[in-house]
Amino acid sequence: MKTALALILAGGIVAAQEVAPPAETITPRSRALELAGAFANEGYKIRDGFWSGSLEPGKPLVLQVNLFSGNEYWFSAATLAPAGMLRIGVFDENGLPVQGEDFQDGGTAAAGVIAGASGKYFVRLELAGGDKAEFCLVYSYK
Amino acid sequence: MPLRFRETIPLPREVGVSRLQAVGSPTSRLPKALWLAGLALAMALPAPGLHAAAEKLSKDEIRSAVITPDVTIPTPGEFFAAIDKTGQPNWKQMFAPKPAEATASRDQMALMLGLLVADGYIAVEAQDGQGVKNVGKDIINLAKKLNVSQSVLGRGNSISDFAENNDWSALREELEATQNEVKLSMVEQKDNDLVILVSIGAWIRGTQVASAFVEKAYTPELAGLLRQPAIVEYLLGEVDRLPEKLRAEPLIIELRTKLAAILPLVETPKRAPLTPEAVAELSATMSSLVGAITAGSKDL
Repeated sequence: MKTALALILAGGIVAAQEVAPPAETITPRSRALELAGAFANEGYKIRDGFWSGSLEPGKPLVLQVNLFSGNEYWFSAATLAPAGMLRIGVFDENGLPVQGEDFQDGGTAAAGVIAGASGKYFVRLELAGGDKAEFCLVYSYK
Repeated sequence: MPLRFRETIPLPREVGVSRLQAVGSPTSRLPKALWLAGLALAMALPAPGLHAAAEKLSKDEIRSAVITPDVTIPTPGEFFAAIDKTGQPNWKQMFAPKPAEATASRDQMALMLGLLVADGYIAVEAQDGQGVKNVGKDIINLAKKLNVSQSVLGRGNSISDFAENNDWSALREELEATQNEVKLSMVEQKDNDLVILVSIGAWIRGTQVASAFVEKAYTPELAGLLRQPAIVEYLLGEVDRLPEKLRAEPLIIELRTKLAAILPLVETPKRAPLTPEAVAELSATMSSLVGAITAGSKDL
């Protein structure tokens, strides 16, 4: 499972690099979509909507989402911060962490969960180190 | 818990940019060589793994959680994907769009537009290409009446092309992109109040179809999918934030009354599924709302 996921991510990222936009048009959103695109091969549909803003190191931001029982989700986020390490966590409506898979590589991170029950969940984004940075988060489901 | 809306900060160059424009083409047609290259890269990438045990969110973090409708409100497609896993709906039978009568009311048209977007998702589930094309045309026609058609005309063509090629996955994304494009145009022409009505319309139609199916094929697993108190609370809050003049419109009054009426039905303790009675009441209320939205206006 772990190797399969690594392959999906690696394959997706290589492919995305093949068609990557010029450096001047790389944005947090394009990087987040690049990461999310890796899951599209596994049948995940990427939401068009996105969450963006500024993230300061040590000041996590939390987004409320609504998930459906049985659906599988990947939350993919990115910054352009060269030094900061981005982390994502998914929590249930009581604020308890939801077990799942994650991926972290410098300014990009993803968390995958299967919703055990329908309802409200929270996604926490945190930047460890580096400077304040613009971020973007997208999610995909299947 | 009172829900708060904190405005997200759109990235200047990205507003209105579609997913494909933002990142290039999708990765769905990967050449084999690239996968082999991926294999090599996989060795160098930090390996994904199980979440490490994280600390619980603080009450402050939960209280300050951002709600941004384009992400927080699920698409009908997500709802239907969950239903597909738990039940065996006959989407072809369920794809029965209710023709909307003429209206001059912009708020009613915005709600109708939301219904149409959800109808598009139902047609996709039914794999009804002609149905999707028809819905796409109706969306464009309504967008013209709302003066937001310029930016969505291209979307209409894409919907038609994807439907022609039976590209159901792309259609799901295109429908959401079309809805977001319409909302963006509404914001640009200072019609912000209509934006939330589009989302509400889509949510109502999705919930109507889902609750009608669950009512017929009740299982606790299916009924659990209808438990969405946070969304109803949020939508109610947004209706309350509409300008007073708009809130005085009979359709908006009915909308608010019915959303308030379904809140106790979908707010079950300990994430318990809705009872069969609650599902039936939810289904009836949603059908009645769809009827009110698609009814003609007395102004004409």
